[in-house]
Amino acid sequence: MELTDTQIERYSRHIILEEVGLAGQERLLSARVLIVGAGGLGSPAALYLAAAGIGTIGIVDADTVDITNLQRQIAHRTADLGREKVISAAEKMSAINPDITVNTHRLFLQADNIAEVIDGYDFVIDGTDNFAAKFLINDACHFSRKAYVHAGILRFDGQMMTVLPGETACLRCIFGGPPPPGAVPSCSQAGVLGVLGGVLGTLQATEAVKHALGQGTLLTNALLKYNALDLSFRKVPVRRNPICPLCGDAPTITDLHDEALPVCDLKEARP
Amino acid sequence: MSHSTEPILHIPQSVREDVLAYREKVAAYRRGESNPTAFKAYRVPMGIYEQRTDGRFMVRVRLGAGLALPQQLTRIAALSQAHGNGVLHVTTRQDIQIHDVPIESTPDVLEGLLDGGISSRGGGGNTVRNVSACPRAGRCPQERFDVAPHAISVAEYLLQHRSSFNLPRKYKIAFSGCGTDCALASVADLGFFAKTRDGEQGFLVYAAGGLGGSPRGGIVIEEFIPVAEAVEVAEAIRRVFDKNGDRTNKNRARLRFVLNRLGDNAFKKLYQEELVAVRAEGLAGDPPSVRDLEARFAPQTVLSEAHIEDVQPDLQHLIWPEKAAESVTLRLPLPLGDISAEDLELVAHLAKKHGLGLVGTTQEQELLVYGVRRAELAAALAVLRETIVFSSFRNARPRVVACAGASTCKLGLCLSRGLASAISAAFDAQDVAGGEGAPVIRISGCPNSCGGHHIGAIGLEGRAQRHNGRLLPAYVVLAGGVVSEDGAQLAQPLGVVPARRLPELLAAAVKQGMTGAEDLRRLVAEHAVIPPNPPEDYFYDFGAEVPFSLAGRGPGECGAGVFDVIQLDIREAASALRSSKTVLDDRVRSEELYMSLLAAARSLLVIFGVEVTKEHLIFAAFDRELITPGWVSAASRNVVADALDWRLGGETKSLVQHAESIGELVARITDLFGSLDANLKFRLTPLAEETAAAPSVGAEKAAARADLSGVLCPMNFVKAKVALEKISIGSVLEVILDDGEPIQNVPGSLAEQGHEIISVTPFEGRHLVRIRRLK
Repeated sequence: MELTDTQIERYSRHIILEEVGLAGQERLLSARVLIVGAGGLGSPAALYLAAAGIGTIGIVDADTVDITNLQRQIAHRTADLGREKVISAAEKMSAINPDITVNTHRLFLQADNIAEVIDGYDFVIDGTDNFAAKFLINDACHFSRKAYVHAGILRFDGQMMTVLPGETACLRCIFGGPPPPGAVPSCSQAGVLGVLGGVLGTLQATEAVKHALGQGTLLTNALLKYNALDLSFRKVPVRRNPICPLCGDAPTITDLHDEALPVCDLKEARP
Repeated sequence: MSHSTEPILHIPQSVREDVLAYREKVAAYRRGESNPTAFKAYRVPMGIYEQRTDGRFMVRVRLGAGLALPQQLTRIAALSQAHGNGVLHVTTRQDIQIHDVPIESTPDVLEGLLDGGISSRGGGGNTVRNVSACPRAGRCPQERFDVAPHAISVAEYLLQHRSSFNLPRKYKIAFSGCGTDCALASVADLGFFAKTRDGEQGFLVYAAGGLGGSPRGGIVIEEFIPVAEAVEVAEAIRRVFDKNGDRTNKNRARLRFVLNRLGDNAFKKLYQEELVAVRAEGLAGDPPSVRDLEARFAPQTVLSEAHIEDVQPDLQHLIWPEKAAESVTLRLPLPLGDISAEDLELVAHLAKKHGLGLVGTTQEQELLVYGVRRAELAAALAVLRETIVFSSFRNARPRVVACAGASTCKLGLCLSRGLASAISAAFDAQDVAGGEGAPVIRISGCPNSCGGHHIGAIGLEGRAQRHNGRLLPAYVVLAGGVVSEDGAQLAQPLGVVPARRLPELLAAAVKQGMTGAEDLRRLVAEHAVIPPNPPEDYFYDFGAEVPFSLAGRGPGECGAGVFDVIQLDIREAASALRSSKTVLDDRVRSEELYMSLLAAARSLLVIFGVEVTKEHLIFAAFDRELITPGWVSAASRNVVADALDWRLGGETKSLVQHAESIGELVARITDLFGSLDANLKFRLTPLAEETAAAPSVGAEKAAARADLSGVLCPMNFVKAKVALEKISIGSVLEVILDDGEPIQNVPGSLAEQGHEIISVTPFEGRHLVRIRRLK
């Protein structure tokens, strides 16, 4: 890979960094990252990763842009109302950085299609808004041994964890599976502070960049809890659970399946 | 019998002045008038090091050619008793160290030494270190001629010039009297071997050897020079070092890195050019004088009726023959080079009463009493028996030499002295015989080779090893080091052994005569294994009461100098300048600009001998020393005037209009600093005289080059990095940078990222920077 003068200028602030340099930028340009969800978390992650020069970015979303999205999903504009989210986001990403390739996947990830989609990527960002999808991503990344970063936001709180399947604690090590329907309200019911997606989505993008560079320490074996009202970050140490149904000593989950979606979330999750 | 009291080495007047000025420096420091870094810059080149224990200092007394008069030893002993811990330490470079001196007593020690005609000046720092010589010079039956007077003459010449105390790094010179190289000349920065050709006395000369990081033997720079030219050669090499040594990287500053960089031929050519220049100019200062020591310390004719007594066979290892049949050298193999003050006084007494009134130190940390009359040997040995240290060397054992190690040295990893004692104890326990032909074991507590492990028949280099997540002290075992006039051969590493297992390994090896590399390799392999659950003592270094760790290790003091102090100020100036650009508030910007100007103005004053702390005095001195002579632009005067006015709340309400001028001034100061030589003189010319200088491009082979003229910050840095990543590690890149911000920032940024800035030279109104990619 030979960078053009324009590319050297574009990425100069990266190249200056001792931990990045020319070689690191070249690694970013050959990295492949999948972002699941072009919403509150996925939007900032997609824009920053595009700007950083992540060479191939896939973006998955089955939805169209709704006016209630615009309070936080910053990849989309008022003029994009009614358009496919993946197309709207891909346009913004290419406008920021024409160097990169954006693959759009307009579909709802399920047990029967997820393996095929994530196959082409090295790192997955979970930017979904429901537990079913989050556990599906967790399981799929486990079976295909893909590193991924989980995040979730609700009201004024966010949480995040990076998983290196088979090496570090996964979502099921901590939570087993989704909470019973109705136990946790969704964003549409409980509300969410718009900038939360910016904070957590940008941290997810940071993990993707670090993973591509091979620099720093990933947020593994720790659950990051963020509260916007107190402006507090807390890293809760966690570890692999020997009785984890997915990656424990005697796993009970041996293939992919879809978790039940609470009825009230159906509109949110499916077109 | 009466002996001459004339010192062996005559202390030059300049050294005398510096020693007498030292008391006031200490007083000023204790009054809080100079900061610790600035004070350290004076202290270390005075031969005074801080020990690992805070607030305690070591004074390293240099002994020309390792020789001392009895009354000088008595004085050293008394000073140690009065101000130190009462134990003296003989070093591998023939100095004697006084330990545990509180800072307030150091002036008394220095002046006391001066009264005795000795000094510690240049004992540390980036200076001409003790000029060493064969420990038996003038006595050894094997020597070609006495080299000690020449070592002393070279030392006296170099010491009188203050430039000898501001070199890029230390400069070690050694003189060997024959090919055996007892003085270790083949691994010195400059090494002389006595030679005779057609009846004329002269030297075979080696240069640029050195142990420590990236050790190497020297290369031959002269096959034969007449003895009278030794001083010229030493001065020429000093100049090569001064002009080409890398002051920006302490770890690659020694002369051998100049040789590695240039290659043998270019190095020799530079040396020859300097030698021609030295001869053309003539030597500056007092002409060197060579005083015959053999004649001065000649043994007296023994009366025929005096009978030669037999010496007990078990003390034969303490007696060395001399050229003169009627006298011998008495050898004291001090354990670890240590001797108590009381014992040292006894040795001085012995030398006066039964010897020639002359005592020597050796590279193996021994003391030698010269010219002991055979007829008085029994009496002399009786005096020796009175010493406390006698019991430790009454049996002949292989010699164990060790550096100071982690107990006092801030660089040390392992307690090398503790290991040395343990090895000696193992030799005693197993009655391992020493004497002629026994291997010398050399131990260094870290890779810096102060114990000379690279040239030991058996060498040990301290390091930390990890086992089950814990650290344990261990040593690399090396074998096969040889020095000689045919060049040095460095010892080769055989493996790493936990410290605990070394005493048994070495006792077994020496006892069974298995000290060759092949036998040793097998023993090392056997002892390298750490058992699965090692006994707890594996994790304790010898003599340590807490488990082994690297706590307390810090950067060495050896390189502290004026340059560090200047750099501190320049960094402060640059950083304040940078901050001034990032704020909008006019008052804060003015504040930062003022701080930048003040630091820049203060930075170079130290080389003019000005040390003031009041701000208006700093600016006044800056005007006098730098503006008036034209080192910096005359326009700076207005800036300074406005700055002071602003500071005092006068009519000037802001300094922002001077931002650009202050930036230029900082850049100019940085350039001036970069052009300083060892005499603390600028190589740049004053602004008024500046003319278009021809580019001086080094003699190295064509390197990759990036012309970054006209490229602004930080793109020039980015492009330099990109170009650097395209060449292989170890290769050199040449970058052309504009004046001002580019030259001010880019080299520093590259150095910060771990690359080596080899040189910065003027180039067609811009700068040519040579950079070596190191990672």
